[in-house]
Amino acid sequence: MARRSIFARIVWASAGLTLVLLAGLWLLTDWTVRQSIREAAQDQVDVDLAGLVDIYASGGQRELELRIKDRLAFAPIDANTPHYILARDDGTRIVGDILAWPALDAAVSEAGYITIGQNTAVFARATRLGPELQLVVAREADGGAAIRRQIMLAFLAGGAVILLCVGAAGKLATARLGQRIGAINHALYRQQTGALRALLDPEKGDEIDDLAGNAANALSRLSRLMAAYRDTSDQIAHEIRTPLMHLDRRLVRALEAQPGEAASARLIEAREEIRKLVSTLESLLDIAASKARQGDRHGLEPVDLSALANQICELYADSAEESGHLFSWKIEPGVAVEGAPMQLSRMVTNLLDNAFKYVPAGGQVTLTLQAGPVLVVADSGPGIPVAEREQIFDRFFRGKQAKAQDSGSGLGLALARAIAERHGFTLSLDDTETGASFRISGSR
Amino acid sequence: MDKEAAMAEGHKPLKLLYIEDDQRAATEILAMAAERGDHLVWESEGATGLRRAGMEPFDVIILDRMLGDTDGISLLLRLRDSGVGTPVLMLSALGRSTDRAEGLDAGADDYLAKPYEAQELFARVKALRRRASGREHSAVLLYGAFECHVKSRTAFRQNKHLALSPREFELFRYFVENAGETVTREMLLRDVWNMDFDPQTNVVDVNIGRLRRKLEDGFATPALETIYGTGYRLLTGK
Repeated sequence: MARRSIFARIVWASAGLTLVLLAGLWLLTDWTVRQSIREAAQDQVDVDLAGLVDIYASGGQRELELRIKDRLAFAPIDANTPHYILARDDGTRIVGDILAWPALDAAVSEAGYITIGQNTAVFARATRLGPELQLVVAREADGGAAIRRQIMLAFLAGGAVILLCVGAAGKLATARLGQRIGAINHALYRQQTGALRALLDPEKGDEIDDLAGNAANALSRLSRLMAAYRDTSDQIAHEIRTPLMHLDRRLVRALEAQPGEAASARLIEAREEIRKLVSTLESLLDIAASKARQGDRHGLEPVDLSALANQICELYADSAEESGHLFSWKIEPGVAVEGAPMQLSRMVTNLLDNAFKYVPAGGQVTLTLQAGPVLVVADSGPGIPVAEREQIFDRFFRGKQAKAQDSGSGLGLALARAIAERHGFTLSLDDTETGASFRISGSR
Repeated sequence: MDKEAAMAEGHKPLKLLYIEDDQRAATEILAMAAERGDHLVWESEGATGLRRAGMEPFDVIILDRMLGDTDGISLLLRLRDSGVGTPVLMLSALGRSTDRAEGLDAGADDYLAKPYEAQELFARVKALRRRASGREHSAVLLYGAFECHVKSRTAFRQNKHLALSPREFELFRYFVENAGETVTREMLLRDVWNMDFDPQTNVVDVNIGRLRRKLEDGFATPALETIYGTGYRLLTGK
């Protein structure tokens, strides 16, 4: 799913809310206008009727007929158009433009909305004038259509302007905010000292600056911790490696004196032990460093993992042949990751070393790499007992087999996992019936 | 390799500045340099070392990463700032790849982790001088009876073509480039195979074994000498 900015959402939400409010306001206005037009029609009908009743009372039927004709001839243009029917008791029309007596009971002065002629909606009231005479006065009730159309147009035009204003204001407000948050994000991501310091010393001091300052504070504290950790491990490395180097030099000098075969063999063994000690120390420091930098993308560079894995596989091909293993690899070209090349090499070689160590001669070892990345090193060896499947990734854990072979430092898989996790990958052991299958998969 | 043979193969003495606060390490490297006929100036302090580097021309400066009075990285930065472009090999007990990258970023031309083989130190120094003098681009590398044609990627011994695979050629070329020097396992891993660590399996021995067979098949004399517990050295092949 495409990442959506919170600011875009805010702008869209305010525009939507504005639209809904405007529509509501328009509906209310329209309803009110319609109501008042209808009420006006009712009032006009009643006033008109009262007037005509008076005329009948004073002038009689003849006068009434004349007046109705007059009124029909001079329809007002600023009020609802009137309609009349003066009829006999049986509904026969005497005068008026309503051609048939509507369904209104004149005896009780019934009023209501009716339709006359060709679908003209009117408000009408009937009344009985005498034993043989009844009258209906009506006014068109759907009047005001023009006004209502104007109101609608005004709302449409005004609404568009308001929407644009809300959108523009939202954009402007969020652009500045977005810039600030973007800058803060950038600083936090890069974790450069200068950028972080700028966050700690904000211009405005509002809530966003508080948030950024707190985050920068935490990061600075973290980087101080990292520096302290690094200094300590550097010193440990220095203090252990230097005497080991002197020891190794002494052994070299002893070897140079050509002390005879048996003694030479012992001296070479001793040098080998020193080498192992140094490599264990390095692995431990690398594990610690990788764990400490887990999730920290700083210092990673684009790496062609396919090329790197290919090179390692080619390097191992001959030694696999020599040791009688069937080694094959299938690498999808162009799998790129962000990483530290040396560490990634180390991760892959540790898995291969592990496989070749425990698979007896004649067994198979395969390496596959696909985009993702998904890197699998599988073998046809004895596999790993279910009980040991998670423990094998622990530092200094050595399974029954490793103990039997008395080889290895017990750090290879721990280091491979630490490196994988430092790169945001996972290293796990597949659930296989036979053999072992180590899987590195990237989540990004 | 004895001294006369080295001279015969054109060993030009090196002029080196060595800035190191560890006296024991320094004594040993001094003795080794004297034995090889190289001229090595040792400075135990960063400040005097920096002054010395600005005063005299050296082929290569060997600089310890952690000195008593300063640290190697800042000294190197000051050196480069003052316009001294002499190749620098940085030595460090901090062998991790991040430290290595830091050293190279600061302007070091190469980086060697302690404990190192003295032979490797000199091989690297020679390689740096070679690189600085621009000779590493020569199309044909010669050593004894060996010829290495870099562009056409072909190899000869006593004018006889050697059928090397691409990987074997890279390995062979590395030996010819470091002719006369002991090439350690660490050097091969790092420079030929890009690994700053030693794999548990015997990949180095196997690959060397293959190359050795290709170089020696059909010839009466050995081509590669194994120096037990240290590494290998290319012989003249005559």
